[in-house]
Amino acid sequence: MKNKLSGFAVPYVVWMALVVVIPILIMAVYSVTTADFDLTGENFTRMGAYVSVFARSFELAIIATLVCLLMGYPMAYLMAKEGPGFQRVAMALIMLPMWMNFLLRTYSWMSILENNGLLNQFFSRIGLIDLVNHIGLALAADPSQYIPITHFQMIGTSGAVVLGMVYNYLPFMILPIYSVIVKLDHSLLEAAHDLGSNNITVFRRVIFPLSLPGVLSGVTMVFVPSVSTFAISRLLGGGTHMMLGDLIEQQFLGGAYDPHLGAAISMVMMVIVVVCMVVMNHFGEGEEQAVML
Amino acid sequence: MKKQRRTGSRLLMGLVFAFLYAPILLLIIFSFNAGESNSVWHGFSLHWYKELFQNRIIMESVYTTLLVSVLSTLIATVIGTFAAIGLYSLRRRLRSPLLTINNIPMMNADIVTGVSLCLFFAAFFQGWRVFARWFNDVQDVLELPLRLTLGFTTLLIAHLVFNIPYVILNVAPKLRQMDKNLVDAAQDLGCTWMQAFWKVILPEIKPGIVSGALIAFTMSIDDFVISYFTAGSATSTLAMTIYGMTKKRITPEINAISTLLFVVVLVLLLVNNVREARLERQNQRRTAPGAARPVSGPVKPVKTHRSLKRFGAFAAAAALLVTLVALGGSARSQRVVNVCSWGEYIDPELIDIFEERTGIRVNYQTAESNEAMYSLLMSGGGDYDVITPSDYMIAQLIEEDMLAELNYDNIPNFAKIGQQFRNLSYDPDNKYTVPYAWGTVGIIYDRNKLTEEPTSWSVLYDDANAGDVLLINNSRDAYGIALKHLGYSVNTTDEDEIRQAHALVADAMDRGVFQGKVMDEVFQKMEGGNAAVVTYYAGDYLSMAENQADYVDLGFVIPEEGSNWFVDAMCVLKDTPHMSEAEEWINFMASTEASLRNMDYIWYASPNTEALERYPAYYEELYEEPLDQEVYEIMAAPADVLARCEMYVSLPARIRTLYKDLWITLGI
Repeated sequence: MKNKLSGFAVPYVVWMALVVVIPILIMAVYSVTTADFDLTGENFTRMGAYVSVFARSFELAIIATLVCLLMGYPMAYLMAKEGPGFQRVAMALIMLPMWMNFLLRTYSWMSILENNGLLNQFFSRIGLIDLVNHIGLALAADPSQYIPITHFQMIGTSGAVVLGMVYNYLPFMILPIYSVIVKLDHSLLEAAHDLGSNNITVFRRVIFPLSLPGVLSGVTMVFVPSVSTFAISRLLGGGTHMMLGDLIEQQFLGGAYDPHLGAAISMVMMVIVVVCMVVMNHFGEGEEQAVML
Repeated sequence: MKKQRRTGSRLLMGLVFAFLYAPILLLIIFSFNAGESNSVWHGFSLHWYKELFQNRIIMESVYTTLLVSVLSTLIATVIGTFAAIGLYSLRRRLRSPLLTINNIPMMNADIVTGVSLCLFFAAFFQGWRVFARWFNDVQDVLELPLRLTLGFTTLLIAHLVFNIPYVILNVAPKLRQMDKNLVDAAQDLGCTWMQAFWKVILPEIKPGIVSGALIAFTMSIDDFVISYFTAGSATSTLAMTIYGMTKKRITPEINAISTLLFVVVLVLLLVNNVREARLERQNQRRTAPGAARPVSGPVKPVKTHRSLKRFGAFAAAAALLVTLVALGGSARSQRVVNVCSWGEYIDPELIDIFEERTGIRVNYQTAESNEAMYSLLMSGGGDYDVITPSDYMIAQLIEEDMLAELNYDNIPNFAKIGQQFRNLSYDPDNKYTVPYAWGTVGIIYDRNKLTEEPTSWSVLYDDANAGDVLLINNSRDAYGIALKHLGYSVNTTDEDEIRQAHALVADAMDRGVFQGKVMDEVFQKMEGGNAAVVTYYAGDYLSMAENQADYVDLGFVIPEEGSNWFVDAMCVLKDTPHMSEAEEWINFMASTEASLRNMDYIWYASPNTEALERYPAYYEELYEEPLDQEVYEIMAAPADVLARCEMYVSLPARIRTLYKDLWITLGI
């Protein structure tokens, strides 16, 4: 009987070999060959020109992950303290935007952040732009040289890209943290209180350490898509500040067809992400607690 | 005190929800806007909903999205459940490495999964080609297609790649919790292993299966990146359609479809929530008196009620699937031609006319540039029959043996193509191409922003226009112009000259002269007065001038240094299964009638001599006013201007690599 059931695994193992392992091997082969499939290390040395792209991608992704954590943790914590009915509704509300495709949500931010978009209209309606101009004029060394602003530049900046990442990936931070906190053993908290801890100590010494697996899972679920995005940077960043995702996309479907270089960049990204995750899992006691949603 | 804290915490949560929902709310509000704007309210109207249902591109992509999500969820749920059971009955030493591999698609960045699958499919297609050629040679009962491209099947496979692991991940914990002895007990009591599976295992792990399916569906619906790399050009999910639109003009129908999607999901969630709440209450009532029942125990409402509901859900899913497949099937059973061209490069009514007359369905797609189209073709994503590349790209494609020779007997309208557009350098014997349109590259500028008419390309690199210049986003044109400005040929193979041209552009970029790199985005930028100068194509200047805002006054000039003139020609990709449809399309587009109509819409000159000569009269008849001679000369540059212009020829591979390497360093 046991053998019969384990037979169920065979087709899937074949499937995994075919569409998970082999594609990655092909990618690895591409990354170390030239267009004529001669062995070369050139693809990796050529990457030196793109150090700034790597740096920018990691910087923006780290900022976005931190912002998500700062917003998501309190949110998850507060949600977990509410009654079951409230929790269920809140969960549904957090999941709901994910059912609309993330490009729809990003697109909506475009019209908000544009130079004559809703936010700038709002700022000028409440007189903020005039106020800035007044202050600018008063502070300018030579008032005749002062050029008044007509809008705040928001779209096409790194800030807009980070905003897009935070907006799209915040649910991925909230949900795993929430699902860990909500399952915490309440007798532990009571014990801590009984032993004389105040609320802050309970949080610091008991709740937070126990919620770390959720935090780690949330951090990876936000960081990985952020560092590799290309749609968000294209839509909200105007495509002028290239990110890793843009660079890879360019090599495959964009204007600079070079799958070998693209594969090499993808390999490097994959390795960096895996190393980050191994380090973090180690740090978090490595318990295989894959808390998904 | 307690109450106060609670209000505070609710307020905080409210803020996060406001952040999450404000943009969605705006989409919903503006879907009812009478005007086209996404930021100015023009009054209430249901106009965009009506437009939505007539917009074939959007409706088809919604259909694709739903179909791929539903299918991949169903298949992934079945495969994933069985795989999880199988994996859990393996020995631990075998199981852990397999589970690690299973985690790869979830842990990897989407783009890595997408790219690796893209390469995998491309390799498979190449292998297939070799096999099919051999197979067709050794027997002639069955003719296998030689050219496979990315499409719905590859899209579905890609979705399965990331969906199955999610199902396994959700089923696995339930299997772990399950008492292993249950199965043995069932068998001791006389169950076959099949019965044991249905009666014992399945009910135990059902919650895991349901949540796995739900997550798989969510991931499918939400995905963009992996689809983008695996769907090819002919199949497009809603996300890919929107991504394509953001480069050109986004139509407000997108707001309407967002609203509809939102409402559907909201209703589904509400129904589910009410149901769950009711179940929970029932459960509480039942457990309250004794309070001995374990909390995690299965909830058992009245039996008939449950099976009825299960049947209902199953029937609904089946009905949805059947409708989806039926809808798709009806659209797919006719003659088809897949056409790839540039943005704003055809009068869309011509497609309708052609479809009506011939019954051939035209799958019209656009690429951003010659280079982007080439990338798509090379990665197996370009599911095209007819393409319309420019001169130098045609030469490259012929060199790489990617084009099919045409049978000009099937294209009688080729006779109307002017002699000066035949046998050009890119296709010296004219075996592969029928010219589609021709034109020049020049400076488009806003008279309200530049004080005087530019006479030299130097305005593009001038600090005086800092932040107001748009750089054309393809290396050939951007460097070609710079070469012309420096007094070199656009076709130079001297590396030093090319490096000088690059330095000119890169230096201007460092000084902040360029606002951004544009291709199709140029229309909204220039028409809306968001930039002052750009290098672009003559025909597109005329359509911009037609649509410019009232505070914008665009002009066009071909500078003294000279410029590039180009021919875009229709060609057919080798091994296309739709050769006769492709030739019919080409013949139709080369006809005088279609050329006149198209010229009037796209403002590019036609190589059809008859159409070119008759155009001024056609215009006068249509608009009851004479065609401005200046406009006509911008469309069809006179001989003295053409004398200053060079046509691109295909560059040697070494120079192409140099172009690419230099180009990608811009803007990083």
